[in-house]
Amino acid sequence: MSERCGVVVAHSRLAEGLLSALERVAGEQENLWPVSNHGLGGDELYEVIAGILEERGGGRDAYLLSDMDGGSCGQACRRLLADGRVRAVFFGVNLPLLVEFVFLQAGSAEEFVKATVEKSRKALGARP
Amino acid sequence: MSVVLYRVDERLIHGQVVVGWARRLGPRRIIVVDDELAADALEQSIYRTGLPADVRADFWSVEEAVSRLPAVEESDEPAFVLTASLSTMSRLAHDGIVLREINVGGIHRGEGRKRVLPYVSLGPEEQRLIDELERAGVRVVARDVPTAPAVRLIERERG
Repeated sequence: MSERCGVVVAHSRLAEGLLSALERVAGEQENLWPVSNHGLGGDELYEVIAGILEERGGGRDAYLLSDMDGGSCGQACRRLLADGRVRAVFFGVNLPLLVEFVFLQAGSAEEFVKATVEKSRKALGARP
Repeated sequence: MSVVLYRVDERLIHGQVVVGWARRLGPRRIIVVDDELAADALEQSIYRTGLPADVRADFWSVEEAVSRLPAVEESDEPAFVLTASLSTMSRLAHDGIVLREINVGGIHRGEGRKRVLPYVSLGPEEQRLIDELERAGVRVVARDVPTAPAVRLIERERG
């Protein structure tokens, strides 16, 4: 459906679980792949993500979706961004963000990133 | 045809409907046909929390649906019609609503039901209704999300 692809990078089994949940509501995803930092050092994590993008990215706009900024997952993502391997990194990935990532149509990559964050942020809330 | 999806799903308005199907088929309204829900404002408000901003929901009794769905079919506004059970959907067909295909998205385990797919379990009553609907020319097809394979339930029944 889109010309974009992404890697979800998170601690433990979170990325795998998020993609499994996404597929339950949105159907099979061929352009998103999970990566766990479990047992990996910073350089290894970088290489695993870079390897996936190289192998499966197919020249499309690539994005990273990390669980939180500042942790080892976020750091590896920032390094890949700095090296020009991806268009952008999303931090704080959750199910609403993944839904927008898959379905949202927007003009430029910048517009897409902005709109995705704005829309998914609205999904976060609480009710006393 | 303004109703773009007739679906049987015990969960009614939930993730697969508002994400998987709605993002692809773009309904402007979701009509839930259920006699109990049509009279339960609290439950309706809970279901409405899951709706995208540009989609509205109506909760109709079977009787109301039978009288109002023909106008929905004539309108330009794409709509989903959801029921929680095959028997309610079957009543619509029986009372004159023209159905070509019913999407089955979730009939879960219950007494006397046998699991035929991870998200569909059928008992003798469901099997009877499927046979009846298929004989009347209505395809009854299981598919939880649009990317999943479509499974004609009459064939699954026969094994």
